[in-house]
Amino acid sequence: MNEGLADFLRGIAATNEWWVILPEILLAVLALGLLVLELLSPNIRKLVPRVAMAGQGVILVLLLAFGCSDCGGVPEESYFGGLLQSNEWTMVMRVFFLFSALMVSYLGGLFLARQNLAKEEFYHLVILVAAAMMLLVQSNNFVMLFVALEMVTVAFYVLVAYRRSSSLSLEAGIKYLILGALSSSILLFGIVLLYGVGGNPALPGASGDSLNFDALGSFIALNPDNPLVLTGAMLVLAGVCFKIGAVPFQIWVPDVYQGAPTPVTAYLAVASKAAGFMVLLGLLHGPFLSLQGFLVPVLVAISGASILFGNIAAVTQGNLKRLLGLSGIAHAGYLLMGVVASCSVDWADRAVLFYLITYLLASFAVFTVLSIAGQGDDAETSMETYRNLSQRQPFLGGVLTLGLGSLAGIPPLGGFIAKLFLFVAAFQAGLYGLLIVSVLGVVISIYYYFGWIRTVYFKSTGATDEAASAEVLGIQARCVMGFLVAAIILLGVFPGAMSLL
Amino acid sequence: MADLLFYLFAGITLISALVMVLMPNAVNGAMCMIVSFLGTAALFVLLEAYFLAILQVLVYAGAVMVLFLFIIMLLDVGEDSPAVKPAKLSIFAALTGFVILSGLVISLFTDPASLPATPAFEVAENPTGLSANNGIPFTTSAKSFGYSLFTKYMLPFQMTGFLLLAAMVGVIVVSKRITETEPEAETTD
Repeated sequence: MNEGLADFLRGIAATNEWWVILPEILLAVLALGLLVLELLSPNIRKLVPRVAMAGQGVILVLLLAFGCSDCGGVPEESYFGGLLQSNEWTMVMRVFFLFSALMVSYLGGLFLARQNLAKEEFYHLVILVAAAMMLLVQSNNFVMLFVALEMVTVAFYVLVAYRRSSSLSLEAGIKYLILGALSSSILLFGIVLLYGVGGNPALPGASGDSLNFDALGSFIALNPDNPLVLTGAMLVLAGVCFKIGAVPFQIWVPDVYQGAPTPVTAYLAVASKAAGFMVLLGLLHGPFLSLQGFLVPVLVAISGASILFGNIAAVTQGNLKRLLGLSGIAHAGYLLMGVVASCSVDWADRAVLFYLITYLLASFAVFTVLSIAGQGDDAETSMETYRNLSQRQPFLGGVLTLGLGSLAGIPPLGGFIAKLFLFVAAFQAGLYGLLIVSVLGVVISIYYYFGWIRTVYFKSTGATDEAASAEVLGIQARCVMGFLVAAIILLGVFPGAMSLL
Repeated sequence: MADLLFYLFAGITLISALVMVLMPNAVNGAMCMIVSFLGTAALFVLLEAYFLAILQVLVYAGAVMVLFLFIIMLLDVGEDSPAVKPAKLSIFAALTGFVILSGLVISLFTDPASLPATPAFEVAENPTGLSANNGIPFTTSAKSFGYSLFTKYMLPFQMTGFLLLAAMVGVIVVSKRITETEPEAETTD
């Protein structure tokens, strides 16, 4: 190899600043360490859940202590030869994903204690997913984006099918596998089209590295009407919309949410969706900036359809996990409205982030109750399980009420403020039609959320209280749920508290 | 000479692909697929993409085909399995594909403007120099893949390793039979 090339390669390798992704590396090491621990004696094996939770907690604290000290208005910086880019959002999102993983590990502990399943691998996969999502939101290159997204998706295939003794879980796994592979291939096809057209030397602005978001963005700015660019962007958008479960790509949501183990459903609902939205925001404000005129009407249509479909389909739904899945489609619709608004209103991306955070808190509150109060077969959770819950378990009933209230958007809670921010952003962006649709959606959603809450508080006329096995809540569970509820109320009363996080 | 070889290998690829689709016996079909892959690999060699040709043989004709054969044997699909009647949907799909294909062929051969007048290598020179392609030379040798993988794409490369690990762990999780009955609470199912 000649000297110039060697120097050049050294120059590229010098931008591989591994310390920037130290939290992700630590998570990967933790995940590997768990597999090693599992090999040791059975006594050590029992420690795996604790080691997993403690490890994630330590990394979360380190991230908060060292990462956020200088995250106020950090300039955008590129690392790894432009593969990664950090800005003020990425740090918040890394904390977000790590916190989700910690919650899922906790819920996983509750879930696995009741099941005769492999235990240690669950934590391994959850941690790997968290690390991959943390890299996903920082990626600034389609190679990085695709590898990180595939890592998330492959681990989710396994997590969804984790309860292999249950046919519903296996069905969910197969559905997620096939549709996930299909959506990945659509996304990949879009990426390849963009790469090919962006590297065409006959077109202005072509670059040798058109997978990079910056290079691709400047290429698209010069060729916004190229049919290949438009096709590629649409396909990429379709691939991302699958991940967030927006309407034309929502078929998998109810079945997968129902069949997957409850902690995995929570993970899918919160972290996977948030990752999809962050990718979407990054793409719309990055490489697809000059395509906004073309993409915005498409996104408006998807958003409106998602809100209406999710809410209307949820009304008649008796299975609670399916209900949460369908209402999750509606939430994806509201969030998409915020994403569309962010094209013209500059603070709307903050509103999206705020919504994601309140959605995280409320969803985990509801899913924690679901994990604790749910009966053994966690795919068949019906309303009847929760009949009169407030009498049997007042604490669980209260947490469930507040969580559902926040999801519905009831005034003193965080979900209300989050919805309000999104609606104001949409109003300022002039999306009046979409705004009417989403207000309609909220009204419909109140019906089914309150139907559930009503079940919690009232006895049915003829039902016997045979499920009155009042498990005593551990102090740990009370602390976790108390924290979630306190955060929901705090964000509702004092939204500025988000800046503390 | 190269033209002759191109037509030879292209013919082998197409004919064996056709035979594969029409073959009633799945194992024989898989064998025809290997021949088709080898023909494609030969086409890559004609394009001087040696690395791609080797990968085509190793990965597709080798590993992927072994996987296919395993699945065929596991499913035990013999010659006696009844021929699947084509559903309405697949007839529709075949018709659509045929219409698109014939449209493409007609537009190619009747309208000369639909083909680019100048070949791609005349539009622009293959860029040379270190700034082009981020300093990694345009070659088809395995070496230049290595340069990229271990400098610029080091992070995705490492992540792919974790991806494969997750897939492996997943296979074990989904197929492992748990013998010990140790759950604290009552088991269900």
